[in-house]
Amino acid sequence: MRKSLLKIIAAASVAISGTAFVSHAETLAIKGGTLHTMSKKGVLNNATILIKDGRITAVGQNITIPANAEIINAVGKIIIPGAMHSGSRLALSEISMTEDSNEHSAKKSPFSAAFDVQYGLRSNSVVVADNRRQGLTHAITQPSGSDGIFYGSSALISLTGDADMRHGKGPMIANPANGGNRNVSWAKIRLIFDQVKFYEQNRNRIKRGEWSNDFLLSGYNMDALIAVLKGRQKLVLMVNSEDDLRQAIALKRDYKLDIILSGATEAWKVARELVAAKIPVIIDPLEDLPGDFGKLAATLRHAALLDAAGVTFAISPGGMAANHNAFHIYQMAGLAVAHGLGWEQALAAITIRPAEIFGFDKILGSIEKGKLANLVVWDGDPLEVTSNTSYVIVGGVNHPLVSRRTLLRDRYLDLTKKPLAFQ
Amino acid sequence: MNILRQGIVALTGVSVAAVLAIGASYAQDETNKPDKDRLPFVVINKNPYPSTYEPFPSVTVMIENATILTGTGEQLENASILMAKGKIVAVGTDLQAPYGTKIIDGTGKWVTPGIIDVHSHLGVYASPGHKSLSDGNEMTSPVTADVWAEHSIWPQDPGFSRAIAGGVTTLQILPGSANLIGGRAVTVKNIPSRTAEGMKFPGAPYGLKMACGENPKRVYGKKGGPATRMANMAGYRTAWIKAKEYKAKWAAYNRDYKAGKDVKAPAQDLELDTLMGVLDGEILIHNHCYRADEMVSMINMAHEFNYRISTFHHAVESYKIADILAKEKVCSAMWSDWWGFKLEAFDGIDENIPMVANAKACAIVHSDSPDGIQRLNQEAAKAWADGKAAGINFTRAEAFTWLTLNAAKALGIDHETGSLEKGKMADVVIWSADPFSVYSLSEKVFIDGALMYDRNDPATDWQSDFELGQNKKGAHQ
Repeated sequence: MRKSLLKIIAAASVAISGTAFVSHAETLAIKGGTLHTMSKKGVLNNATILIKDGRITAVGQNITIPANAEIINAVGKIIIPGAMHSGSRLALSEISMTEDSNEHSAKKSPFSAAFDVQYGLRSNSVVVADNRRQGLTHAITQPSGSDGIFYGSSALISLTGDADMRHGKGPMIANPANGGNRNVSWAKIRLIFDQVKFYEQNRNRIKRGEWSNDFLLSGYNMDALIAVLKGRQKLVLMVNSEDDLRQAIALKRDYKLDIILSGATEAWKVARELVAAKIPVIIDPLEDLPGDFGKLAATLRHAALLDAAGVTFAISPGGMAANHNAFHIYQMAGLAVAHGLGWEQALAAITIRPAEIFGFDKILGSIEKGKLANLVVWDGDPLEVTSNTSYVIVGGVNHPLVSRRTLLRDRYLDLTKKPLAFQ
Repeated sequence: MNILRQGIVALTGVSVAAVLAIGASYAQDETNKPDKDRLPFVVINKNPYPSTYEPFPSVTVMIENATILTGTGEQLENASILMAKGKIVAVGTDLQAPYGTKIIDGTGKWVTPGIIDVHSHLGVYASPGHKSLSDGNEMTSPVTADVWAEHSIWPQDPGFSRAIAGGVTTLQILPGSANLIGGRAVTVKNIPSRTAEGMKFPGAPYGLKMACGENPKRVYGKKGGPATRMANMAGYRTAWIKAKEYKAKWAAYNRDYKAGKDVKAPAQDLELDTLMGVLDGEILIHNHCYRADEMVSMINMAHEFNYRISTFHHAVESYKIADILAKEKVCSAMWSDWWGFKLEAFDGIDENIPMVANAKACAIVHSDSPDGIQRLNQEAAKAWADGKAAGINFTRAEAFTWLTLNAAKALGIDHETGSLEKGKMADVVIWSADPFSVYSLSEKVFIDGALMYDRNDPATDWQSDFELGQNKKGAHQ
């Protein structure tokens, strides 16, 4: 009894700490299968991928595997770059709906734009471990709210389950709807950027108190927006209606911001303007209900319509699928295919496209020499709901497909086997 | 008297409700002729808002050469199904269609019973999600057994039209889970209607929503309680004690009146009417409950007060007590993989549904979501595949019972729908391909033999009054 309990605890620590028992071979080789590189090389059959020190060092059909390499046999399987979630709460909350376990909100704090999720990431999150086993390898993880329009800075993370998960700062997140009605909020956003411009030019004099303070944001929150104003940090605006989408396009035109639109329920109605303005969007393909008056044009054909119109888009699910069920991203890509999007385009919309949209395509998003080794070996079509992961490689590490949830399953799989851990 | 007769005719075929007393509140019983020395005999009208549902027009239809999942656990290849006058006439491989039958070529298609969602809030939490349409939770008192979900249903919720495209033909609409006892749930046919009565599944027993755990605690913790799980239990038990007293009062009244005494009927109490309906076996308990330990407490309470629980809803820990649930014959209505949004959902696993089914307990896939209800086939597919990966090998046909026959059992309508069997309602879906694939879509949906949805015929698209003039008909798909 005690021994089996210890075993369970030991196994649990694998899942929770992530790296304790994982393979640390110097070189990893994935051999065979159908490889969707999502690069110029396209689809390769029976190729080999070499991975060393966390990075992909070679991809191709005539590659010599070093003698010391750990070999993963992927014959009959499908290999893809790991999926990327474009707006998650991963590593920021173990329980979504409670304040007891929530590092993602700046509410009731002095921070809005100055909030940054870099300090509160949870390295041994069981939510991260479970999404990793289901084939999610990296994500934008982002603030969920503040008392204002700006929610703060997100982060790009790999689902390593370790303290090294954060690659760097992601975009600034903003939700105009949190600023009041539409007239109030768009006026506020413009006024804030006007004020940040003025503040940036006169910062020292303002700090010395030479102006009375009628700024909408405090100095430290304005400091955090300077990078956005200068185009050095991307700005994600959460907007849905065609009218708000047009306001966002105008904002980019007037302030030269580097904007990404998230939610974007009615984007298909302003597709031409989005293409002209070179603005990418992040959509959730399941939206088809008029959740409010700004979502009347929600349609299951959204991804297909955007693709046909030439809009750059990524697929990323929201709600429950922003955290615990973030792995639904594969099913949602499949759903977009069921409603008219091409399969390759759907796979691109969860791999290379989000990497490009967020400006991380130099390190992630495809299986190419030099990129981070975040990739997944599937036992079938990765977009199909009945497929399972066979191997998940994050940061070059072949992670066991174990999580607290699989351990719970194993504990209760045979109820006739007594004694159970608890009765 | 006319009311009485019509009521009885309308209600023939009710499975669970043993005796439904019908008629106006003060109807006079045949056996107790008015007696000028006595007060009239009082019978509570148990069906004051009867269904006015009538099937839409249908023709005789035969779907040929399809793969058929019968909903009883069988898969038939190159098979046909014949429907006439709203009922299933025959299912098999060697059927003859009567002259004039509309033939549908099912080559490459799959045919299943209509999906039944036992947990929906369509109509009571309608789209758009404005406060004006938030009618699902009577968060004013922890016990509101007196409220009926059907009185909150807005039949113009666009969500119904999205659900039919997911192959959902029948659904139970429940009050929310804020309250210990939240009120009556109602089973409806998924059809466009001007009224809730027009959707009500004729003769289906009512459900009663109860809720365990976090929600009542959260809602009432600072509003006079319950603030703890132990107070949750005390709250239910207090309610059942009152219901037993009420039931005894009515039994005494009926007995004394029939014995010729001049007795006054007890005052009618809406809350206790519903609870008494549960104690009488006429109303089915649908209990929102996540944790294994709490589900067992609820089972023990049902034994204490001698009633039955039909189904635990959400039931994310059913896999821990699947043996107990099998023995107690309580169904579990579950998500395939939702977990962790609350601490009481932290132990949710992807294999919950197949593990429950594997223990020979009644397993059901439910949605609790206007999005999820559109893809319940995919939810079953995920659970089925995750079960297989863990060594639990069900066939597709067996897994489809989680969406149909088991759900019908939980709602007490399994003698009428939930499987493709002769004489049952012709609630039928034609899928473009294997419904266990993400790429498969419903193509045609029949309810009582009437073609209510055809993906390839925009004329069949419903458009709710709300969307009229705001959105192009059918543009959502």
